[in-house]
Amino acid sequence: MTRRVLAIARAVAADARRRKIVWVIVLFAAVMAAAIPSLPSYGVGVVEAVYREVALTLTYVAAMVVTLALAANRIPSEAEGRTVYSVLTRTVRRWEYVVGTWLGIALTTGVVVGAFTVIVIGVGWISYSTPMWILAEGTFAIWLEAVVLAAFCVAVSSAAGPVIVATSALAFLFITHSRSSLMTPGTVGYTLYPSLDAFNIIAPVSHGSGVSLGYAVSMLAAFVGWAGVLLAAAVFAFSRRDL
Amino acid sequence: MTDVLLIERARKVYRGMGTVREAVRDVTLTVGEGEVHGLLGPNGAGKTTTLKMLLGLVLPTEGRFEILGQPATPAARAHLGFLPEQPYFPPQLTAGEVLDLYARLSGMDAAGLRARIADVLERVGLQGRESSLLSTFSRGMLQRLGVAQAVLHEPKIVVLDEPASGLDPVGQRDVRNMILDLKEHGVTVLLSSHQLSEIEAVCDQVTILNRGVVAAKGRIDELLNVRGQTSVRARGPEGELPAAIRSIVADVAFSGGEWMFSVPEDRARDTVDALDDAGWDLVSLGPKRESLEDYFASLLADTAEEMAS
Repeated sequence: MTRRVLAIARAVAADARRRKIVWVIVLFAAVMAAAIPSLPSYGVGVVEAVYREVALTLTYVAAMVVTLALAANRIPSEAEGRTVYSVLTRTVRRWEYVVGTWLGIALTTGVVVGAFTVIVIGVGWISYSTPMWILAEGTFAIWLEAVVLAAFCVAVSSAAGPVIVATSALAFLFITHSRSSLMTPGTVGYTLYPSLDAFNIIAPVSHGSGVSLGYAVSMLAAFVGWAGVLLAAAVFAFSRRDL
Repeated sequence: MTDVLLIERARKVYRGMGTVREAVRDVTLTVGEGEVHGLLGPNGAGKTTTLKMLLGLVLPTEGRFEILGQPATPAARAHLGFLPEQPYFPPQLTAGEVLDLYARLSGMDAAGLRARIADVLERVGLQGRESSLLSTFSRGMLQRLGVAQAVLHEPKIVVLDEPASGLDPVGQRDVRNMILDLKEHGVTVLLSSHQLSEIEAVCDQVTILNRGVVAAKGRIDELLNVRGQTSVRARGPEGELPAAIRSIVADVAFSGGEWMFSVPEDRARDTVDALDDAGWDLVSLGPKRESLEDYFASLLADTAEEMAS
C-alpha cells in the first residue's frame, strides 16, 4: 500500500521536475529575490524586516503558482490522456492514486520552497551580513498552505476540468484569507469560518519574533485537518468517477 | 477448461443532465484458461465499456465480474496485464522510469527489475531506449511500450484493446506473433479488435457484441463454417468444369490456374472422383468457410432487422 503510494508520488515528482514551467517560475522568483536589497532603505533594523516581508511574499506567490501549475491539470490530463488506465488496472486502489498524486505534488512544491528558502536566506546573508534563519519558519508555513492548496486542486480536479480547478482554487485562497474582513472576532461565525490564516505568519517572521512551538503545533494540526478533509473529498469524488 | 475471466449480465447506464444512455445492456462472457478470446463489434457496441467494467475503470450498473475466480477487485488484478487502445504515458518520464513505476505498482521486487525491463523492451523492439524521454517516442513506439507494460509482470491474463492500432504492418505482425507467443506460454488473452484478420489469425473463440448485447459467440470454425457445404480447390484447364459436377457446384471462381468452388457436403466424394476421372489435380478439400468480414456484416444486418421489427 505505502509502496504503491510512494511509487506514484515519485513518478509525479519526476514528471514535474522536468516541466519547464516549474523552473521558469523558480528562476524568475530567484532573480526577484536577488533584487529585493535594491529596494529603498528604511533605516537600520527596518530594512531587514522589509526584506523578510518581501521575500516571504515572493515565496508565497511563487509557491502558489507552482502548486496551481502542477495540481490543476494533473488528474484531468491523466484521465483525458488515459495515462491513468495503466495505473488503475493494476493492484492500485483509487485512493492510493489520489494520495500518491497529491504527495508527488507536495514533494515537488517542497523542493521548490526549499530552494527558495536557501535563496532568500543566502541573499539576506550576503546583503545584510546576517543569517536570517527565521525565514525558514515562514517558508515552512507557506509550504504547508501550498500543500493544502494542492489537496484542494486534487479534490476539485477529481470531478472537474483544469479551468474550473484553477478558478475555484483562486476563489478558495481568497475566501479562506478573508475571515478578518468578513467576520467579527469573537463571534461563532468567526470561529467556524474556513480559514487558512493559521499559515500566514509573514508578519511575526518579518518582525523577527517568529512563532511559538505551541503555535507551530496548532498550525500542523490545522494542516492535517485541512489536508485530511480535502483528500477525503478527493477520494470520494474520484472513486465514483467513470474513466 | 477452467474459466479465468467471467463477465455475467454486465450492464452500464450513463446518466447525464436529463439524458440516459445504455452503453452495455446485457453481456455475459467467459474466457477459459490459456485461450485467446476475441471481442468483436462495431463502434459503440459496448466492447471497451465492457472491458473497462472488468478492469475497474468504469463502475458497472449491474453485473458480476471475476478474475481467476475472484471478484474483480484491485487485488485480483495482480495477475492481469492491460493494453489500452492508443496508450499514452507521462511524456516527461523515460521508458525505463515508466516501466519501473508499473513494475512497482504490480508488486514486482526491485531486485532484477532493471534486467526484466531491458528484456521486455528488447522483446517489443525498443532495446536501448530505457533512458529516452517518452515525449520523443512516435505513436508506434508508444504502442510497443504499451505492450511492454502489459506483459512486464508476466501476468496470467492479458487484456488487449486494439493492440495493433497505430502500428505499421511489421508492428502488426510483431503484435500477432506476441499474442501467439503468449498463448504458447499458457497466458490467457482477451483481445478486442476491429481488425478481423487479426482476430481470425489468433483467436480460438470469439464473442461478437452489437448494441450492448452479445450477438454471437463460439469457436471461429463453428461460426464461419457453412453447414452442409464443402469447399474445393483444384487445378485444371481454364474454360469449363468437368461435366459430371457442373450441376452441383456453386460460388465458382478461377484464378492463377486454380478453380475454387463449393459443393454439397454429401457430394464431396463424387466430386473428387469426377475431378480424378477428368485428370484434374485436387489442391484442397474442406468445410466451406465464410470470411469473418462477411459473417460479421450479415450478423449486424440481422441484428439491425431484429431491432427494427
